Amino acid sequence: MSVRKILNKIALAICVFLIVSPAIFFFLWMLSLSVKYEIDNASYPPVFIPDRFAWQNYIDVLASNRFTTYFFNTLIVTGTATLAALLVGVPAGYGIARMQAHRSAVVILIARITPGLSYLIPLFLLFQWLGLLGTLVPQIIIHLVVTVPIVIWIMMGYFETTPLELEEAAGIDGATRWQVFRHVALPIAKPGIAVAFILAVIFSWNNFVFGIVLAGRETRTLPVAVYNMISFDQLSWGPLAAAALIVTLPVLLLTVFAQRQIVAGLTAGAVKGGVVLLSWHPGRA
Amino acid sequence: MSSSTGPPALKLRPLSYWPFVLPALVVVLAVIVFPWVFTIWMSLQEWKVGSPTTFVGLANYVRMPNDPRFVEAVWHTLLYTALSVILPLIFGTFAAVVFHQKFPLRGFLRGVFIMPMMATPVAIALVWTMMFHPQLGVLNYLLSLVGLPAQLWVFDPGTVIPSLVLVETWQWTPLVMLIVLGGLAALPTEPYEAALIDGASFWQMFRYITLPLITPFLFIAAMIRLIDALKSFDIIFAITQGGPGSASETINLYLYSVAFVYYDVGYGSAIALVFFVLIVMLAAVMLYFRQRFHWNEAGGGA
Amino acid sequence: MDQVRLSRRALLAGTAAAGAASFAATPAFSQVNWKKYSGTKLEAILAKGPRGDNFQKHIKEFTELTGIQVESEQIPEQQQRQKCVIELASGKPSFDVVHLSYHVQKRQFEKAGWLADITPFMKDPTLTAPDLVENDFSAAGLSYAKNDKGQMLSLPWSVDYFILYYNKEIFAKAGVQPPKTLDEMNALAEKLTDTKAGIFGYVGRGLKNANMTLWTNYFLNYGGEFLDKSGNILTDGPEAIEATKSYVRSNKSSPPGVAGFNWMESLAAFAQGRAAMWVDGVGWAPGVENPNSSRVVGKVGYTMVPAGPKGQYSATYGDGIGIPAACTKKEAAYLLCQWVVSKTQGARLVQAGGGVSFRNSVLNDPEVQKGVTLPKEWFQSVLDAGKISKLGLPVIIPVAEFRDIVGAAVTATLAGADPAAELKKAHEQFRPILERSEKA
Repeated sequence: MSVRKILNKIALAICVFLIVSPAIFFFLWMLSLSVKYEIDNASYPPVFIPDRFAWQNYIDVLASNRFTTYFFNTLIVTGTATLAALLVGVPAGYGIARMQAHRSAVVILIARITPGLSYLIPLFLLFQWLGLLGTLVPQIIIHLVVTVPIVIWIMMGYFETTPLELEEAAGIDGATRWQVFRHVALPIAKPGIAVAFILAVIFSWNNFVFGIVLAGRETRTLPVAVYNMISFDQLSWGPLAAAALIVTLPVLLLTVFAQRQIVAGLTAGAVKGGVVLLSWHPGRA
Repeated sequence: MSSSTGPPALKLRPLSYWPFVLPALVVVLAVIVFPWVFTIWMSLQEWKVGSPTTFVGLANYVRMPNDPRFVEAVWHTLLYTALSVILPLIFGTFAAVVFHQKFPLRGFLRGVFIMPMMATPVAIALVWTMMFHPQLGVLNYLLSLVGLPAQLWVFDPGTVIPSLVLVETWQWTPLVMLIVLGGLAALPTEPYEAALIDGASFWQMFRYITLPLITPFLFIAAMIRLIDALKSFDIIFAITQGGPGSASETINLYLYSVAFVYYDVGYGSAIALVFFVLIVMLAAVMLYFRQRFHWNEAGGGA
Repeated sequence: MDQVRLSRRALLAGTAAAGAASFAATPAFSQVNWKKYSGTKLEAILAKGPRGDNFQKHIKEFTELTGIQVESEQIPEQQQRQKCVIELASGKPSFDVVHLSYHVQKRQFEKAGWLADITPFMKDPTLTAPDLVENDFSAAGLSYAKNDKGQMLSLPWSVDYFILYYNKEIFAKAGVQPPKTLDEMNALAEKLTDTKAGIFGYVGRGLKNANMTLWTNYFLNYGGEFLDKSGNILTDGPEAIEATKSYVRSNKSSPPGVAGFNWMESLAAFAQGRAAMWVDGVGWAPGVENPNSSRVVGKVGYTMVPAGPKGQYSATYGDGIGIPAACTKKEAAYLLCQWVVSKTQGARLVQAGGGVSFRNSVLNDPEVQKGVTLPKEWFQSVLDAGKISKLGLPVIIPVAEFRDIVGAAVTATLAGADPAAELKKAHEQFRPILERSEKA
């Protein structure tokens, strides 16, 4: 029996290694590429840890004198888009959950299935007509398309798991629906809001395809700015990998540190039937 | 999905919750309505950026079946999608079963495992491009370590789609894993106890108890993968831009070229609409199968 | 009179501060009032690359000279083209000066009327330095900058000729000389290929779209012309078929995966010493000669693209700088364009190998030549290529479609498809597109 247990443990360890190693290897290799000079990056067999580190790759990316501008733009765009999404999305998730009105989410489904590219030209013309180009507003609005659905669906799933008894009791005591929501439902839902917040930030961060056309020199966010340093037809792998790592590092750190909340939020959503189905993933233009 | 366990909220008058929902609805509608109207209207025009527009009725739609690049792109999309649904589903289920066990560092490793789906797509696409390089890439080196011949990966029309699916699978298996994990967490324990007493093997328990019970979750995962894989853009664009030749040009890639490289906005709008209808149709087919084979009920698929 | 003298003095002070040779040499005879638009603010949108770098690095000199403030940004080429087109089409571009890619955008910009006509500015001595005259630009530059009415719509900035790079070490080992004809080159490539040692005789772009800029070298040297008199495309004719066969033969000696190679993979193969010959633009020499990225520094030979049976041409591409028709500060913007293509800036560009000025007065200036940091042989190949230069792509609106569709056909031939059949099929697809865009 104990031999079998040990064998099981070994088998489990191998399985864990098999499924985790592609991700680990990938990100380590990314790191390795980013600290090597070209001559090491192009050598064969590949060099994993170089003799001399090319920190210059990072300095070149970070040396942009507008770094602070871009950083604040990012804070404003991602921050506003996320907070605004929470403001309208949390009540909406609550309402949908209490109404069992899942079909009202068809609107979001349409937004999700629409090829993202078809937003670009019309919205550009619209924003120009409204005279909003050159400000951060277009980007904030565009990011709302990403963040609002996520918040709604996470919160919807969450409110369906919170107990109704308290709310009903409050209702009997004469509280209005809004008071029930504000003083009973909302405090219980804090962990759900945290998850919605984290995921909205991540997906908003990753979704900068629109920013490339909508952002000007002064209104660029950090991901867009670094993305603009990356031209695909560029030879040097080191600086490219460094830029790529800088763009994605905040998200990776957030993922590892908040993995418990993220996993809980997404799996709970799955149990509630399709939260993630309708949330908007990055990279799906 | 949740109707069987839904709270008895219907006692309260449902409509009065609309004020909660309305602001969000307005925000989403405000952003999507104008582009939709614009796209539908544009699809009936001939408009190349820089020239005047002319109304051409359905001519843009008639062009599609006669456009060999579009027809080819449809096939590429279907092949790419089929593979990108099936592979993550298999690996994701496997990973979920593993992560459902208890072992040290599980939380941290789970965080690492879901990093690919959280990472910025363009950034990881760049690194994959470097890894695929037939002479200098690290993948061929890894193959050589285990004695396999070097591959051309995305540099050969024959292997480009499987190679891109490899990236897609790497990236989105974690999502399937999370959904299935949610399913596993909700499983009852009794059947397993009974099976253990009957001396069932791990595989038998998985095949005859777990798999049927998680079918609804697999369906959700398949549905998400379907929509995402159909619309996949960043990865293909950044790695191959549809090449070599047009071997990996999917509808979305072609749509991009038509609208943003050729600036043929009228035709591009028509493609966008047809593409939308195609996604809806495929999703509807999946839903039909779900009803037909009762995938929405646990145990239905077996 | 006093005013003029004053402005001259101001100008002298400005140029002295700038240390700009070309402006300093001419101002005494010039009446250009550089400071007239002082205080104006301009926005410039640039494609990312050495030209953009050269612009941004020295733009302070322009501001010192004219008092015009310039804000500029470099965006990767593809995104820059999209942003420009979308903004120009909207009628209210956010920029006053635009960096355009002639071989892709010339016809599109002209037909849409997006660029301001700068012919009158060039005739105005208060706006144009006397050394900037039309016939100082090479023929290729003028044919790019002028529309069919003879109006200058932009100033030619930097030209890109195709040349042959070869690895002298490999050549010496095999005891061979650089090829004079495409057939010789193909035979040589086969001879030098040693797959066991990982050495390939040839490398060049195989990737759809990108490959067309290489393929046209073959096409032109096989006597091909892109368009007939009435504007019909001719790239599926007998010359094209023969050219494609030669192109395919070259690439039989290329590293595996060449069907997916753009210039960067080709450059990597060549710079790693894995390819004996490489045909591509002159602009990659800095990468080849940079010890941080190359193993063949100092071992590279540069020469003209070998001749074909019907002649010897170097396929030529280029970029220019222009002013949107919707711009409200055209004169100030014109001063900036002029500075961008000035002798000083042109000299800096070519000396660093970041591009080649279209102006003969830059390339033929011995002082400029002395300052070139790359091997003399490279510079000679630039001069030689200039003499046999010919536009490398058809001047039509749907250039991108042309490159994609015909390019895909050419890529397919690398995998063994029949050139004649593939080209025919591609052109059946392309002709209606061409007709549709030209008739509008």
